[in-house]
Amino acid sequence: MKGAWVVLKRELGAFFVSPLAYVVLTSWLIWNGVVFWVLTEFYSRNAVSSGASTPLSGFFGGSALFFIPLLVFVPVLTMRLVAGEKQSGTIETLLTAPVSEASVIFGKYGASLVMWCVLWIPTIIYAWIISQHGSVDWGATAASYFGIFCLGAYFMAIGLLMSVVAPTQIIAAVLSFVALGVLFTVGIGEFVLDGTAREVCAYLSMWGHMQSFSKGVVDTRYLVFDFSVAVLAVGLSVGALKARKIG
Amino acid sequence: MRLTGTKVIEVEALSRRYGSRLAVNEISFRVEPGEIVGFLGPNGAGKTTTLRMLTGYLAPTSGTIRIDGIDAVKNSIRARERLGYMPEGVPLYREMRVYEYLRHRGALKAVPNIAEAMDRSLDLAGVADARTRIVGQLSKGYRQRVGLAEALIADPPILILDEPTSGLDPNQVRHFREVVRSFSGKKTVLLSSHILSEVEAVCDRVIIIREGQKVADLAPGDTETSLEDIFAELTTAGSPEGAS
Repeated sequence: MKGAWVVLKRELGAFFVSPLAYVVLTSWLIWNGVVFWVLTEFYSRNAVSSGASTPLSGFFGGSALFFIPLLVFVPVLTMRLVAGEKQSGTIETLLTAPVSEASVIFGKYGASLVMWCVLWIPTIIYAWIISQHGSVDWGATAASYFGIFCLGAYFMAIGLLMSVVAPTQIIAAVLSFVALGVLFTVGIGEFVLDGTAREVCAYLSMWGHMQSFSKGVVDTRYLVFDFSVAVLAVGLSVGALKARKIG
Repeated sequence: MRLTGTKVIEVEALSRRYGSRLAVNEISFRVEPGEIVGFLGPNGAGKTTTLRMLTGYLAPTSGTIRIDGIDAVKNSIRARERLGYMPEGVPLYREMRVYEYLRHRGALKAVPNIAEAMDRSLDLAGVADARTRIVGQLSKGYRQRVGLAEALIADPPILILDEPTSGLDPNQVRHFREVVRSFSGKKTVLLSSHILSEVEAVCDRVIIIREGQKVADLAPGDTETSLEDIFAELTTAGSPEGAS
């Protein structure tokens, strides 16, 4: 697994010397800054009778404004992981080094999780801003970040899988966008359907997932789902990378 | 790293299919320790596919490969530890500096003393003066040398070089030949090319393939006919079976 660590370091190095990293980070913070401002403005103008809803719980998955950028930013972050190596030809030097396909995938996946955390860490300042003017439920905030990490674990795994199967970065980005978009839309079925279908949609819902965590409720059903999808997608990525040899 | 097998590269009845097309058809050959062997053939003959199977990048459809006595299909990682490979077109991470790239590749290959290994391979490949430059800003000739330095970083007993001089100017080609010649007796080298003069100048032995089949295995000095004539005769007329 030492190979995975070497791959992870190179992946992060390549990301943070590329202009893409700074374009992504800046756009991400501008978007979320605006979202946070709008939500804070909304909550300060409207006396919200429900004590459970706060600007922070609204920010962490309480509105579609949380999910829309993720459908775009996750594919942009993950598209280059393996498809970029295919396009530049460096996949050949990488896979002929004495490292296993699993090490390569674990390294790339680990790097994508670090990128995910780097996106979110600056948003802690929003909680600090609220704490200067009102009260913050730090337990719910911690649960929100934990929920975001778990959500990222499966988003990034799906993006990675698409990057392994796609021949180019653009195709990888489109495939990830569609996969995450479908998962997001299926989750909305929770509010539309009835009976078993409603329960299935609720289980898959990233909306329900974040609403639960943002209120400080760590629901293990969502954790099992996140973990299962992440393991499946990472496992399929290893398999797809091995299958490339015989393709 | 020392050679342990009696035959460093042994290939038996190696075939590779892409869908319905047979790119490599029952190729068998051996390379002795310390030998420099040229792998010749017209474009599309199956050279790159064969080298990619030797290096574990592609799996064979059938046949066996032994690298320094190790079954390269079943024990791919162990076999790859004994190889230095420079793929065609020399793909490199363009955003890295030369020393960063070599340090990364050295770590990936678990080289014990990377700093020392880096100095040695940079010197050997003649690229020591560019160590702090960004790979993407180097000329093609320099990038080729960085690729060679990378292949040498773990001091492997076997080097596999795919079209190593394509796109180089005459001075760079001459320098490259000198470097490869200096490996004679020390490292086993299998290099593919379609440049006959290069193979004639550098290699102890030549394997010629055509349409995925081996059509000749000879030493350039063995015959009075020039390699160019042999190559033209073997790769332009008749069926491959009858030509060897």
